[in-house]
Order: sequence, then C-alpha cells, then structure tokens
Amino acid sequence: MAYLNPVLWETKVFQSKATEDFFRNSIQSPLFTLQLPHNLHQTLQSSTASLVIPAGRTLPSFTTAELGTSNSSANFTFPGYSIHVPAGVTLQTASGHLYKVSVPIMVTPTSGRADILQQPIQQVFQQLGQPSVIQTSVPQLNPCCLQATTEKSQRIETVLQQPTILPSEPVDRKYLENATSDTLVYPGNEHKIMPEVLLSHQESSHYVSLPSAVFSPQVSQTNSNVESVLSGSTSMTQNLHGGSLFMSPLGALHQHVTHTQPHILKNRTYGRDSVKQPRNIQEPSNILVSKKDSNCQVDLSIQVTDDDINEIIQVDGTGDTSSNEEIGNARDVDENEFLGIIDTGDLNVLEEADSISNEDSAANSSDNEDPQVDTVEEDPLNSGDDVSEQDVPDLFDTDNVIVCQYDKIHRSKNKWKFYLKDGVMCFGGRDYVFAKAIGDAEW
Amino acid sequence: MDADSDVALDILITNVVCVFRTRCHLNLRKIALEGANVIYKRDVGKVLMKLRKPRITATIWSSGKIICTGATSEEEAKFGARRLARSLQKLGFQVIFTDFKVVNVLAVCNMPFEIRLPEFTKNNRPHASYEPELHPAVCYRIKSLRATLQIFSTGSITVTGPNVKAVATAVEQIYPFVFEITT
Repeated sequence: MAYLNPVLWETKVFQSKATEDFFRNSIQSPLFTLQLPHNLHQTLQSSTASLVIPAGRTLPSFTTAELGTSNSSANFTFPGYSIHVPAGVTLQTASGHLYKVSVPIMVTPTSGRADILQQPIQQVFQQLGQPSVIQTSVPQLNPCCLQATTEKSQRIETVLQQPTILPSEPVDRKYLENATSDTLVYPGNEHKIMPEVLLSHQESSHYVSLPSAVFSPQVSQTNSNVESVLSGSTSMTQNLHGGSLFMSPLGALHQHVTHTQPHILKNRTYGRDSVKQPRNIQEPSNILVSKKDSNCQVDLSIQVTDDDINEIIQVDGTGDTSSNEEIGNARDVDENEFLGIIDTGDLNVLEEADSISNEDSAANSSDNEDPQVDTVEEDPLNSGDDVSEQDVPDLFDTDNVIVCQYDKIHRSKNKWKFYLKDGVMCFGGRDYVFAKAIGDAEW
Repeated sequence: MDADSDVALDILITNVVCVFRTRCHLNLRKIALEGANVIYKRDVGKVLMKLRKPRITATIWSSGKIICTGATSEEEAKFGARRLARSLQKLGFQVIFTDFKVVNVLAVCNMPFEIRLPEFTKNNRPHASYEPELHPAVCYRIKSLRATLQIFSTGSITVTGPNVKAVATAVEQIYPFVFEITT
C-alpha cells in the first residue's frame, strides 16, 4: 500500500521531467518594465500614435501626465500585437538583460506559453542607477498560477481564474486579454526574451503605489495552502513568503482565491485551454497521472487544500443515532433520507439498519452506552496478525510517468483500458508527446 | 442412494459477500489518494479497494461500513476483510474490526443429468416458480434456510444463501426432488 508516501503520485508529477517545463514556465511570466526618461516625454507624446496598436485592441496611449513622475514607466501587455518601439529606447527584460534599441524595431509577440494571461500591474519604477535606462515591462500573468513577488517595488498579481480588472491604473486598464502569450521577439537583435518572473528582491526604489487593488493573494494562509498544493513544484513558492506583501482590499478577492484554489492544479496543467476557456473547471477532462507499470491506480480527484477537506460534507451515514444492537431494525425516519444516497441494494445486504454518526465523539459515547458492544467486538487488529506487505511501496518508485488528460478509463474485472489524450510520457528517460494514447493493462 | 449422490456432487462456492464495520468515519478522499489499488466513485460516495491476495473487492463508505465481495470461502472472506481493515489502519484511520458478518454465499452445483422444468414446477408448487419467458431457470426458495436455488434444465443449479452451511443443506434438500424429474 502506498501509505508510506502520501500522495506520492502528486510529487511524482511535479518532480517528473515531463512536467518540469510546464510548471516552471507557467509560473513565470514575461516581465517587461518600460521606463521612459524625461526627455522622451515629448517624444512619446508625439510617437504615441506609433504605439497604438492598430489591431483593434486598444493600447491606451499613455502620456506623461498620466505617468506623473519624473521617472516614468509604462507597462505594456502584448497580447498579440506588435509594438513599434522607437529608437533610443533601452529595453530590459525581467532577467535583467538590457537591450538598447538602436533602430526602430517592431516587437512582435510570438506564441509561447499558452497559458499566460495578460494582467495589468502597477507601474514599476526601477532605478538602476541610470535614469536614462529605459525598461519595458510587460506583465504577463498566468491566470492559473499563484505567484507573487515580495519586493516592495513590484507586485505581480496572480489571477487564479478570471482576471479582475484593477481600477485606476490608467495605463493598463484595458489589458485584460485572453490570448496566447507572448514572448517578445526582437527581429533586430535576434534575441528571444525569455519570460521570467522577477523574483529577486530588487532594490526598493520609490514606486507609485496604486490606490487600486493590486491584490496579492498571498495572504499568508492562502499562501501556505497554495504551497501545500504546489508542494515541491518549483522554487517559486519559497519566494512567495517574506517581504512585505502589498496588502490591498482583499476581502472578496480572498474568497475568490480560496474558492478557486481547488482548481489550481487543474488549471495549471491545462495549457492553452485555460486561456481560451475560462470556464475550464467544468470541463470533463481531468488530469491523469498513470504509472507505467502493471499496477495502475486511477485517481480522478482534484487536488483540494486542507481547508476544503474540512468542508467536505459527508453524504452517507450521517444523521442517525448509532444503535449498537445487532440486527437492530430500529430504523429512524432520518435514515430513510439516505436511502436514495446509499445503494438500496447494499442496504438490503446490510442487516444492520443503523449508521454511524459523523463525529467520533458520538461514536465513542454510544460505545460506552451499550455494553453489548464489547461482547460483540472482534479481536483487535494486531500489526503482526494477518497482515503482509502486499504491495511493495517501491512499485510507485518509478520515473516512468504519464501526465495527460483522459477520455475514458474502462475496467472489466481486472482488465483495464485507457483512452488518453494530450499528454507527455516520460518513459525510459525519454519524453514522448502524444495527442492520443490507448493502453491496456491487467491488474 | 441420495446420500451417495450427494457426496459425489461438487458444490463450488463462487462468491462470499460479507460486511464489517470500522467504527470510525473514513475520509474517502484520503483513501483514494493514498491507498493502493483503489477506485474512487465520487458520484456515489464510495471507494472500491481491490486486494490481490484473497481476490476481493471491498466497497468502502465514509460511514465506516465496508462490504467485501469476491472471496471463495468464509475464512478467506474474513481474512481478506481483516487485511483490508489493516490497510485502512495503516492509512491512519482508527479502525476497529467489528461486526463481521457473512451476508451471502453463492455456490454452483452441477447435476449429472438434465431436468424437466415444467414438471418439476408442477410437483413443487409453493416453493418453485417458473417463468420461461422471463428467465430460463426455476426459482426454488427454501424458506427455512433462507436459501434460493436456480435450477436450469441442463442440470446446473445456482444456490445463494446466508452462509455455506445453508447452501450445502439446500443442495442436499433439493437433490431428491430434482432426481426424480430427470429426463
């Protein structure tokens, strides 16, 4: 039995090479900070037109007035259109690479991470000691991942499900776009800017704190919950603590977070589907991890945090006083409610009509009430008694992992059939990607 | 003699169904995630756990009631049930193995001769019921034993009863009735 490694499959999924790219990149978002020097104010105003995307999506043109400070930075999201960057602009990626644009370039997003959602963030001001340095910042967030930066200078919200519009950010107001995401390409430089999350603690510079809710869902409780969910996944989660989190009016958002937490894992591994269909929770497909040995365990449940475990309502066996007499046909009226839930065929099989109440305390008290119980009680299960380590726990200790979605899992007696789709299989140290997979197994 | 014939008959027990209680609430989700060889049926609220050693399938409810099916003998059923309870205990639940009861035993028996069912039904009016359009076998109930026998024209008989002893007794009881209506 796999009791020695609780939720072993989960750690396997996160640690396996099949998904390392997936999770890592889904958390990271291309971060682009655009910081414009003073002298470009006028230029910007004039060249604003060039920055307005003609593709029909509004890129709010920013003016210096809106920026309002000496060091102005603007945040772009590049949902899927190209931006013309005038010459003389220095762009800095989240990783810190500086690209000085000597010629006017067109920044065109390429399809990269499919599960990144645009999300406006506050303006970022980064002083790298060079006021003339210009940085373009594009916050692109994965709606499905939780991430937070702990810097004072930057807050990246993680949208779990639906991005909420942050008010009062004039620049980024319109940036809630669902789109395939975007890795910016500089045709001039032939550099591909790797999207990365700015996790490093940057020197705190003066920043404009938006009055609007730049929400960081890392209320510490939620964070820990999330961390338990994402345990072992990336080093991201460790960076989520510490620092002063930018607390914002979280009330509703927090609830939003917790409610959608059950769908974190599901959403995270959904890939581009999550972006296109925000209602992916209702999608029938689930993530299935199957091991490549003869022992197959079908696990269809969604990862739920500890909070949710406590909220799970027991459907059967409740609401009845447990009468400990054998063949006690004292059926309470309450029990009839549950006939619909409990299989009636099974109820007929069960001669006893009582059901154990939900709480242990009630059960214990009822045990104390009837001395009959002691006489009926069987011998306690000894550890050495009739127990054998049937399944060697090492059976799960394998590197062959399939992470995919399932169409149908079928079983007849001990013959299993798997109809899988859209997955990655790590087998024999090699990775195989498939759109469809059919498997047969015998247990 | 009938007694001699009985000895020669092989009664094969094909299925033993038993129930027991763990006297503690079981978190089905935890069992589904951490247990081995489990099927979680969330829509009906039960977990199926299959064991290899005694080939049994157990249906586990969150109330702590467990039904164990698939064993081929009563001892095996108890053995498997205990092993199952033990594995639940290892998952962390405070399991107490109580109220073990064999509920149903299914056995198959083969007569070396064929049986004429309509005649048999006429002779055993109150106990036997035969509806050829619905089911090709005669359903013979023995109230005292709480056993039900399904008698086919080929001579094969399926017996279900509350325990193995009742099943054996039922076969012995039915044999003389069947023997005289052979083709």
